[in-house]
Amino acid sequence: MGRRRVVVAIVGAGAVAAAGVVLSFLPAERGPRAARAAGTAVSTPAPADPLTGAEIERAEAVASAVSRQAMSSGRVRLLYVERGDDKDPGGSGDGWEGGSSDGGHRLAEAYLYDYGTDTLTVRTVDLAGGRVVKETVSHGVQPPPSKAEELTAAELLLAHSKLGEGVRRAYALVAGGPPRSASDLGLRGLIFTPSQEEGGAATRCATHRCMRLFVRLPGGRWLDTSRIVVDLSAKKIHVLEW
Amino acid sequence: MFLLPPLMRFFAFLLPLAVGSPPGLRALPVGSRAASGPRRLRVVLALALCCATAFPGAGIAGAVAGTTVTRGAQAAPTPPCSASYRVDRTLPNGARWRLCWEMRNIEGLTLGRVVYTPRGGTPVSVLRSAALAQIHVPYDKGSPRFHDIGAMGYTAIPLQAADCPGGERREQFVCVTTRPRGHAYLKSDEEGSGRTAQGSDLVVFAAFQLGWYTYIVEWAFSDDGAIAPRVGATGSLAGFTTTPRHGWPIGVGSKHFEASHTHNVFWRLDFDIQGRTGDVVEQYDFTGAGTARRTIKRTVLTRETRAVNGRARWWRVVDRRIRNADRHPVSWEIENSGSAEYRGPANEAFTRADLYVTDYRSCERLATTNPAPRCAKSVDRYVNGERLTDPVLWVNVDYHHVARDEDSDPMPTHWQGFRITPRDVTARNPY
Ligand SMILES: [Cu+2]
Repeated sequence: MGRRRVVVAIVGAGAVAAAGVVLSFLPAERGPRAARAAGTAVSTPAPADPLTGAEIERAEAVASAVSRQAMSSGRVRLLYVERGDDKDPGGSGDGWEGGSSDGGHRLAEAYLYDYGTDTLTVRTVDLAGGRVVKETVSHGVQPPPSKAEELTAAELLLAHSKLGEGVRRAYALVAGGPPRSASDLGLRGLIFTPSQEEGGAATRCATHRCMRLFVRLPGGRWLDTSRIVVDLSAKKIHVLEW
Repeated sequence: MFLLPPLMRFFAFLLPLAVGSPPGLRALPVGSRAASGPRRLRVVLALALCCATAFPGAGIAGAVAGTTVTRGAQAAPTPPCSASYRVDRTLPNGARWRLCWEMRNIEGLTLGRVVYTPRGGTPVSVLRSAALAQIHVPYDKGSPRFHDIGAMGYTAIPLQAADCPGGERREQFVCVTTRPRGHAYLKSDEEGSGRTAQGSDLVVFAAFQLGWYTYIVEWAFSDDGAIAPRVGATGSLAGFTTTPRHGWPIGVGSKHFEASHTHNVFWRLDFDIQGRTGDVVEQYDFTGAGTARRTIKRTVLTRETRAVNGRARWWRVVDRRIRNADRHPVSWEIENSGSAEYRGPANEAFTRADLYVTDYRSCERLATTNPAPRCAKSVDRYVNGERLTDPVLWVNVDYHHVARDEDSDPMPTHWQGFRITPRDVTARNPY
């Protein structure tokens, strides 16, 4: 019971901003990162430590700098920042016995998605130097949805003429009233890619950024949304038939 | 319309996650030990440290692995991760495991720089990185077909004290604990007095809420040098109804046929036995089916490989530069014998092998839906004939889940996993 409240509360915490540039910084404020940022600040992280809250902020700022405009219009979003965990070419030690531990050079990989052109850009940020040291761009690669994207998907679902009404009714049944916003719902998104087995109306998801959205109501019950696909590129809902 | 009452499944409250481990380890009756006492070994170890480079695998410490020790000149090395992310535990028999953990956004719980020190021995590094690489869940009727690894880090469940019996919780999400695992050995001697010892595991786990399911992602590090990764599925059934051909009736009567499905779990293991160079993967088969004699057949995998399970088949990662006290090369063996061996359609070629060996590439992180640009998307595509210089192993273990009445909320955990066992890491019984 307590745990479920926590989950819902976490989802709710970042919900204030519905659009705009602030959204792109939301992922850092939730999940494991949130706990870390709130905990005792590690000033100088060891080579294999996760990124600190400060490092994440720095990486986000550096990686976003050249995309400011596209981000403020909402066309590009920064999904999340992951620690670069490549092995140093020459590094051999694991670091425990004083050998040359790799990872001493702190790197962060920022995932940015452009919904207009359906491209993923990953910018590797050298945290010490505060600059982008590598950038890879590609079409057709879909990293997992971010928390902010799940919220957007839920907003699209609630705005859908039939399905939205259904969600509200189901929510009202257990909560005694309709959800005030998408952030009242427990959310979990998975990327959807059409296949021979599952496609139908959602064939555009072969190029678009689409997700399945699982919706959990207060009390822990899940709606069966397995046939619903949210197309974030087209801002549309597709219903699968199988 | 597809959404509401008919398809909606109301489940009872999820009860607090129950982890199937008994309360924390109590004082263990340690059986009679090998001749060499701890004190003597400590002296030898200190010696080994001060003159390290000169002993590439000679019998330094008698009964233990004489693995090379890095730079002798440095004093008090700083660990690769700070205290919150460090696990350093010496089990009751004296075996020590050290590792770093990280909750990554995509892969979730990731363990790194895993080092094993046998009782009284010198440290040997085993894994540079180890994590879940996918949970693929295809339903028997053809759809849906989920790839359950999304942004795992964000679905980690804050653990309560009861979820982590006898252990310590790290940043809410990770439990580090020790638990008994039964007999390490039991032997009667001629006088009938016998020798016996109980074994124990260091256990590191996190739990994730992925839709209806709760997945417990667990790693057990044994006092005999073995590693047992496993995933437990609990939480709730999806509640998908289907026809009797593809499901099993649960609940009262025969109206609700719960859809059968498979959980295909993939792990990514970047072995680095004492560094990234020198690791070689071998496959072992035993020919002679239907005859009295069996013959060992060793195949060295020199190029990237996809392999399927066989009844007596196993693999090992061996580093010939690193020898135990008997001059045998140190290795870890992969036993994958508990898989339902799901084989999917052609567009899911990643389901068609049980073990993949690829050359290390930093962008290859997940077994399917790999999120990196300019990189192949699934593990079957990573295998493209490259020569192996720094092998990474991908292990696929499948569980076919045909629901039962017993699976009602909260669904009892069903486990799937495999074992990584030491082969010739110590020259003798590690106890
Ligand atoms: Cu299942």
